Amino acid sequence: MTNDNLTIDDVRKMAADIGMTRLSEGQSQELLRATQAARARRASLHTDKLTPADEPAHVFSLTSGNGR
Amino acid sequence: MSATGDLAWLTVAEAAELLRTKKLSPVEYANALIARTERHDKNYNAYLRATPELALEDARRAEGEIMRGDWRGPFHGVPYGLKDIVDYTGLPTTAHSKILQGNIAKADAVVTQKLRAAGGVFMGKLSTHEFAIGGPSFDLPWPPARNPWNRDHFCGGSSSGSGTATGAGFLPAAIGTDTGGSVRNPASMCGVIGMKPTYGLVSRRGVVPLAFSLDHVGTLTRTVRDNALMLDLIAGHDAQDPGSANHATGGYTAQLGRDVKGIRVGVLRHFYTRDMQADPEIAGGIEAAAKKLAELGAEVCEISTAPLGEYIACNRTILTSEAFAIHEKWMRERPQDYGALARERLMAGAFVRAADYVNATRLRRKLTDAFHALFCEVDVIITSSSMDPACRIDDPKAVEYTYGRQSRAPFNITGSPALSVPTGFSKNGLPLGMQIVGKPFSEALIYRVAHAYEQATDWVSMHPTLV
Repeated sequence: MTNDNLTIDDVRKMAADIGMTRLSEGQSQELLRATQAARARRASLHTDKLTPADEPAHVFSLTSGNGR
Repeated sequence: MSATGDLAWLTVAEAAELLRTKKLSPVEYANALIARTERHDKNYNAYLRATPELALEDARRAEGEIMRGDWRGPFHGVPYGLKDIVDYTGLPTTAHSKILQGNIAKADAVVTQKLRAAGGVFMGKLSTHEFAIGGPSFDLPWPPARNPWNRDHFCGGSSSGSGTATGAGFLPAAIGTDTGGSVRNPASMCGVIGMKPTYGLVSRRGVVPLAFSLDHVGTLTRTVRDNALMLDLIAGHDAQDPGSANHATGGYTAQLGRDVKGIRVGVLRHFYTRDMQADPEIAGGIEAAAKKLAELGAEVCEISTAPLGEYIACNRTILTSEAFAIHEKWMRERPQDYGALARERLMAGAFVRAADYVNATRLRRKLTDAFHALFCEVDVIITSSSMDPACRIDDPKAVEYTYGRQSRAPFNITGSPALSVPTGFSKNGLPLGMQIVGKPFSEALIYRVAHAYEQATDWVSMHPTLV
């Protein structure tokens, strides 16, 4: 589903599916805007740069040896 | 013991010497700052909860110990404040939210333990954006903090009270937290020094999380030396914090006073000239700082990295996903108890696909590796912090427009230490700032460069006139 056809009814149903059933009309509008913004951001995640071997940073650690 | 000069603008280092030599009483010092806060903070809202009774208790204890000759070190008798997402035993940790009203801390956060053990004088809990993400907001139980240089303007956030209180002379040192720039933003906008240290350098235990893999605890002070002194106290491995780095810490003041001759400074210019267009006064401040560092003997060159937008998309995807995981239960049960800004920003994580979150963490690793490789060419990097001077706090469109116009989030992604330092003032008298960034665990070098720049300029001597 793209942002172009995401409606307030879609978002209400999606919210209900995860138990968010207490949103007011205004709060549902907030959720719609927030979801549209999050989806738009996906375009800036350049996953085309990833190869299958690229690991997630699930375990994020640093040492003084990083860099120089 | 007797007072010396204007106590509001004493630095930690100056106060420490006066306190150690018994020329200043911790009680007198605390009373002076309590009186200043009572006189002015109704106009700035830096504090959610000032605790003068606890401050005086700490100050009397410090005075007794110092008089007996039991001086604990440079923070003994020095006032400080905590962003109200940091636990202090017996006090509410509200995160500036109705959701956590009445949430009484059962233990001190690790950072609180360390400041108390150093003999600090606890002045109170400081305003934050709701859950360190939603602000400035006028629909919460407490008003938002305001800019000490002009109360009609935003003071930055989310460690808003920490920036305001330090900049306003209510205290010389404060603790903040930083997940996408929340120490450095108020530091830039309030004209103070703000350090987001290396990821894992300071324990996060006892701090309300926003996003586990991006959260950092940091320091706000009015001088570089004070910042280094404070980081010396709070850095250190904590086996009970899963993100804590087991790495040698301390010595952050060791390089202060050394010159910068031969230090290689990379200017990361495309963040604020191409990827985003910074306000000319912001850009001009950074260029002038680069020129100043070159005059001081640094080898200044231009460097480049991935576009700012890639870092920001990565940061926001991870941040909102991790944050929503924390807030989902409350979003189901109590959505009305959030302010509108926090609710909308947190809900952005509700429907992020698992694959997008994982891919963001995969990109994070690539971005981080590539960024760290830059330190083969340079020793430190300077770049923008905020793209704009502080906007009016009562202009929601301006707040929304400027909120995302920043280049701090990349260094939450890379975990790099990043220091916000003042670079002057706008025509309207509002602070300008930049960041100095280093490789992991290079805080001492960052402070050295920042200190040399600070000593070559006079921004540190300028203070706001409060109403």
